[in-house]
Amino acid sequence: MTRLACVLVLVSLGSVVLLALDTTGWNAILFSFVGAPLLVAGVFVYVVQRWREGAFRIAQPSPRETQIRKESA
Amino acid sequence: MVILLWGVARGRLSEAAGATGLVFLPIGAYALGMLLLMEDSKRVTFCGSCHVMTPILQSLHEDNGSLASIHFRRGRVSHEEACFVCHSGYGIWGTANAKWAGIRHMLHTITGHYERPLQLSGPFDINSCLSCHAQAANFRAVEAHQAIDLQEALMAREMSCTGACHPSAHPEEAIAAGAPAS
Repeated sequence: MTRLACVLVLVSLGSVVLLALDTTGWNAILFSFVGAPLLVAGVFVYVVQRWREGAFRIAQPSPRETQIRKESA
Repeated sequence: MVILLWGVARGRLSEAAGATGLVFLPIGAYALGMLLLMEDSKRVTFCGSCHVMTPILQSLHEDNGSLASIHFRRGRVSHEEACFVCHSGYGIWGTANAKWAGIRHMLHTITGHYERPLQLSGPFDINSCLSCHAQAANFRAVEAHQAIDLQEALMAREMSCTGACHPSAHPEEAIAAGAPAS
């Protein structure tokens, strides 16, 4: 997944480099209609991967921690 | 790019490297690219880079009596941004509409769906003309421009500067020519 996300974002950045080197109509088309969707796809793939790894879950206290808190209260 | 190449080679990235290399820096680079495109797409060379516009761009340099050629050759419009000055319309909405029109132009270029002779999409915004000419002494001195009927028709956008009174903006052969968009 990381490899796919990196390739997608790399290709999209290629369109930015092309545009910066030579701002022509076709490079603008590549930037807008190829690079932008690839960037969105790359970021999406990476965010999905991180989500599956549990990066965006709110940390829940373990049952043992809950028990200790109850006992100390 | 180094982070991304590392990610391609190794197949994994640390949390910080991933967020930086895959999210923040690429989005930042794209935002800068967007700003660059916004500015550089005003240039005459950008407009002329698509085949369908090349004959029109060439006609600006010729003494063909068209309004665009007269303005361009006399230096009345910027040689850098001549297309944008006349076709963007006046004010902030003119710029916004020009950018929207640019997206449509790109779609037309991708699909190759251009009908010749080229037609202007919608009425020409004569504020682009009047923003310079309306206050000019030689414009006001012309008897025809002093007629109330004409001024009302202009303000109501019922008539344009080109056509009946002034020559067309671009020569017909340039509008009809141009290699198919490829």
